[in-house]
Amino acid sequence: MIPIENFLVLSAILFAIGFYGVLARRNAILILMAVELMLAGVSINFIAFATYLDADAFSGLVFALFVIAVAAAEVGLALGVVLRLFRERRTANVDEADSLKW
Amino acid sequence: MFDRLPLPSQFDRVIVAGGTVAAIVATPVLVVLLALLFSDVISGPEFVFYLAAIVVVSGALGAVLMDNVVHAALCLVATLLGVAGIYLLLMTEFIALVQVLVYGGGVVILLLFALMMTNAAEDPIVTDGSQKPFGFLVAAIMGSLFVAALLDAQWGDPTANVVPFVDFGTRIFRDFSVPVIVVAVLLDIALTGAFINARRAEEAPRERAEAERAGEARS
Repeated sequence: MIPIENFLVLSAILFAIGFYGVLARRNAILILMAVELMLAGVSINFIAFATYLDADAFSGLVFALFVIAVAAAEVGLALGVVLRLFRERRTANVDEADSLKW
Repeated sequence: MFDRLPLPSQFDRVIVAGGTVAAIVATPVLVVLLALLFSDVISGPEFVFYLAAIVVVSGALGAVLMDNVVHAALCLVATLLGVAGIYLLLMTEFIALVQVLVYGGGVVILLLFALMMTNAAEDPIVTDGSQKPFGFLVAAIMGSLFVAALLDAQWGDPTANVVPFVDFGTRIFRDFSVPVIVVAVLLDIALTGAFINARRAEEAPRERAEAERAGEARS
């Protein structure tokens, strides 16, 4: 039996890498990819807790399933916004889309 | 016959270079893991776990650090498939299947299309030097805090209960029917919003003008 700490450490590392990507990237699509990494880390956490610590072992699975569904919706919607932004401003960098800033 | 086969010089140079680097890095790791496995330091499932974890972490680093955006997206595919392997190790086959289908099949294709349509390869994609060390510092502090906190905690005895594959649909539609409906509405709204948002901007005024013209003709 693999100790649960292995999965938790892996998900923490994945979350931290995704967080670094969100902070360091400028392209909106690459930021979305880093967000996907963070969501994958969270899903690993949910499923590890569901399998190891939950006597029912089901709520965590439902959470992970809904995380996947919401992430798919988010990607579809956000890519539409990014394509619209690129069409209007000829850029996909988030720090150049600043017309709502001041 | 052989002159129709591609020469190694005609392969994508990046594929050859990346494969060589991956093989050079992966071989010692694999040898060490196999030695640990055969000397009974780690068990079989742990061996698979470490393999999948190496794939996940290296793919995530590639997705975050690579300059070429398409290579970053392909590294993301490796990460997501490795995460599906982790799900299989946690004995949740359905989530692993959904992960491969939705992420490997849908999300990454969408991301690749968007990367190609926005000319992202020509943009300066990595941020300027002022933000990067700050981001690295914050991410490192956060990750080490998480790791320290979860290694410090007591997690109790693992129960290792598993929902059988055949019971999954029954349970999710009986016990979680309201969240399923909420997610369905959410997906519907997202689809509609993406459709409306992605229409060309000049279509809307033209439709309005046509509607006005039709109204004038009727009156």
